Amino acid sequence: MKKRLLGQLFLLSTVLLVISACSSDSTSGTDGAAKSNNKKITIAIDQNFVTLDPHNAGDTVSIFGTRAMYEGLVGFDKNMNVVPVLAEDYSVSEDALTYTFKLREGVTFHDGEPFNAAAVKANFDRIMDENDDLRAKRNFQYVDRLEIANDYEVKFVLNQPFSAMLNKFAMVPMISPNAIDDNSKDIRLNPVGTGPFKFKEWNQGDSLVVESFNEYWNSESTNVEKVTFKPVPENGARAAMLKTGEADFVYPVPQQDVKELENVDGVVIEQTPSTIARYVSINTFKEPFTNEKVRKAMNYAVNKEAYIKVVKNGYGKTLDSTMSSETQYYSNQEPYTFNLEKAKELMNEAGYEDGFEAEIWGNTSSETLKGMELLKQQLAQIRIDVTIKSMEEGTLSDEIYTPKTPEEAKVQMWYVSWSPSSGDADGATRSLFSSEYFPPNGANTAYYNNSQVDEWIDAANETSDTKAQEDIYAKIQSEAYDDAPWIFLASDTILSGYHDHLEGVYVLPDGSVSIKEAQLK
Amino acid sequence: MSNIQPEVVTTDRIVNERKETHFHQFWKEFRKKKPALISLFFILFLILIMIIGPSVVPYDPAKPDYNRVLESPTLEHFFGTDEFGRDILSRLAVGARLTLSVSISAVLLGAVFGTILGLVSGFFGKLLDRSIMRVCDVLFAFPDLILAIGIVAILGPGLRNVIIAVSFFSIPSFARIVRSATLETKEMLFVEATRSIGASNRRIIWKHIFPETVPTIIVYFTMKVGTAILAAASLSFLGLGAEPSSPDWGAMLSKSRDYIDSSFHLVFFPGLIIFLTVLAFNLLGDGLRDVLDPKTKD
Repeated sequence: MKKRLLGQLFLLSTVLLVISACSSDSTSGTDGAAKSNNKKITIAIDQNFVTLDPHNAGDTVSIFGTRAMYEGLVGFDKNMNVVPVLAEDYSVSEDALTYTFKLREGVTFHDGEPFNAAAVKANFDRIMDENDDLRAKRNFQYVDRLEIANDYEVKFVLNQPFSAMLNKFAMVPMISPNAIDDNSKDIRLNPVGTGPFKFKEWNQGDSLVVESFNEYWNSESTNVEKVTFKPVPENGARAAMLKTGEADFVYPVPQQDVKELENVDGVVIEQTPSTIARYVSINTFKEPFTNEKVRKAMNYAVNKEAYIKVVKNGYGKTLDSTMSSETQYYSNQEPYTFNLEKAKELMNEAGYEDGFEAEIWGNTSSETLKGMELLKQQLAQIRIDVTIKSMEEGTLSDEIYTPKTPEEAKVQMWYVSWSPSSGDADGATRSLFSSEYFPPNGANTAYYNNSQVDEWIDAANETSDTKAQEDIYAKIQSEAYDDAPWIFLASDTILSGYHDHLEGVYVLPDGSVSIKEAQLK
Repeated sequence: MSNIQPEVVTTDRIVNERKETHFHQFWKEFRKKKPALISLFFILFLILIMIIGPSVVPYDPAKPDYNRVLESPTLEHFFGTDEFGRDILSRLAVGARLTLSVSISAVLLGAVFGTILGLVSGFFGKLLDRSIMRVCDVLFAFPDLILAIGIVAILGPGLRNVIIAVSFFSIPSFARIVRSATLETKEMLFVEATRSIGASNRRIIWKHIFPETVPTIIVYFTMKVGTAILAAASLSFLGLGAEPSSPDWGAMLSKSRDYIDSSFHLVFFPGLIIFLTVLAFNLLGDGLRDVLDPKTKD
């Protein structure tokens, strides 16, 4: 009897277990179906967010992560033109020294604080605070003071004209003054802005979740209620997420998977020309790279078409200037077309007909490895024996930005890319070619030192005449391209993919993802 | 009466005959183990490729052809071409030298040190034995690959350091297995006898105990090579081993994983060759153990 009872009990519990398992299954099933009703989207990207402090974000991913929650006085539209956002209108004085912003009324921060001139002042004070040393301070380096005309009008007064100033304003988002004053909460981890989405949670290395903000001033712009950003470094995994619908938007789409994904029902692959320039910086302080002929020979020896075909799977354009064709004041140069004869001749003239040994550095991503391997093959044609050293991003950054002087720097060649997040010519020139921007101050890792170019960079800033600026930047590009401090490779074509029930999420030419206008159908 | 001649045999002949029968017996037994036999031929074939490979491959394994990238297997390229248009078959053939020499030399290194430690530990016993075995226990506590990754992280990436890392984690297993064989042999009568004649410890260890442990070492060595190939390939896969441009099997597999959807052959062939090689070493090891190990004989 007892045995039978036990048996029945066992049977009962098994049945219960199965039922509960089924029911939990079915609830998760409805969860999936309800996903589109609930207006949630998932965006898969390739890198981790570094910080959520909008005044201190330096990498593209952190910048667009904060832009989901924050807005500046002005911002960028899809083509990186500067458009008014928190300012309804702006004007620039004749002498290019005073920028007047008329602020939008009725805007509140996520914590309920009103947005007004006092809030702008609080942000300005935070950025200019010497003790904080925030990245945003570089954007305001020519700003002398802030004047408050009334509650909804502010004036920024510059101490010298600066051509790219409006773009720089777009790089400075506004934080709630309450959050700035509140020392108990770290702004890096608790963002409070005015944007269409407010912060929900950030699990570092895993996901960033934002929710729609009900009192957003432009409530029409999006109907999505929850957005999850998921960093997925592995190319194949990201492509699979788009295919299965686990992610609604994926950037970047791995080039080799484009053809296959285009055939998936409901998936759209978009190509956008970018401001991202791919190059190898050559340390011009090191023998034998001090010799311009050697650097030119290296440029002639690399077959750019093969590079785009093999490494970029055909998605990209030859880099025929120091910046991409999408950048402001771009002027195209006569490219270093693949010419092995000429490359060998130049190596002969330089006295290196037997070549030399060199090292190339890069991060560990599979595309970088492929790029470096191709360069090794190409440079072997002029007997340069290249050793590939791929390092984890943090180590690499330490190795490059720690040396205090050019003499201490160990880097010979660095396989890297640059994208000016403010979209302006200054952003694509100053920190790469000005001798004041050698590491650790900037990204002039070629240690390019040309006093003429330094002068031009300053001159371009000091004039507000766009024609004159265009001329100056054309001269800079021509001079720097001719000096060959880089191996000029390609400018990227941005590949993003999404499901067609989602609209309004797009990638800007600088490689940042905008979700402000996300609409689910 | 005197038609039966006492056979006069020189000691030389006895030894020779015994050796011959030893090998003969072994071969007779081994021949029956078909999987092990096939594996042996496969491994011999690989070793042949290792030696003559670079001179017989149809294409230069390092020469890119940007007009023929990612081609599926054809009559021209039996295994297809990789992302730089290089012939995969040629790369695998040349890579055999790299991959096999790394793993075999790593295990050899581990076997030499492990055997010495095992012999010393088993023969002398006492405190020496205990301390050596405790150190081995500590090393055993780490998962093999984690230990190898740790060592490479300290020494820096590169094939030489991969050899050191892999040999390092094979030392304790050899030490333990040789020690137990030593303990057993030490108590045998002929060792007692040698000792009573007054032979030195060194002579006893090398002339009498060591030869008895050799079959065990051979079996274990063969099996360990399989593990070492996997470990070396894993390290290369993680970017800690061979330089990415070299035709190391693990590195080839690692770099082609981006193409698993679009060009399957890039992953398939390096994966297949690693699989087959590891399997062959393991089956050979199994076969050898069945024949050589007295415990498994019925």
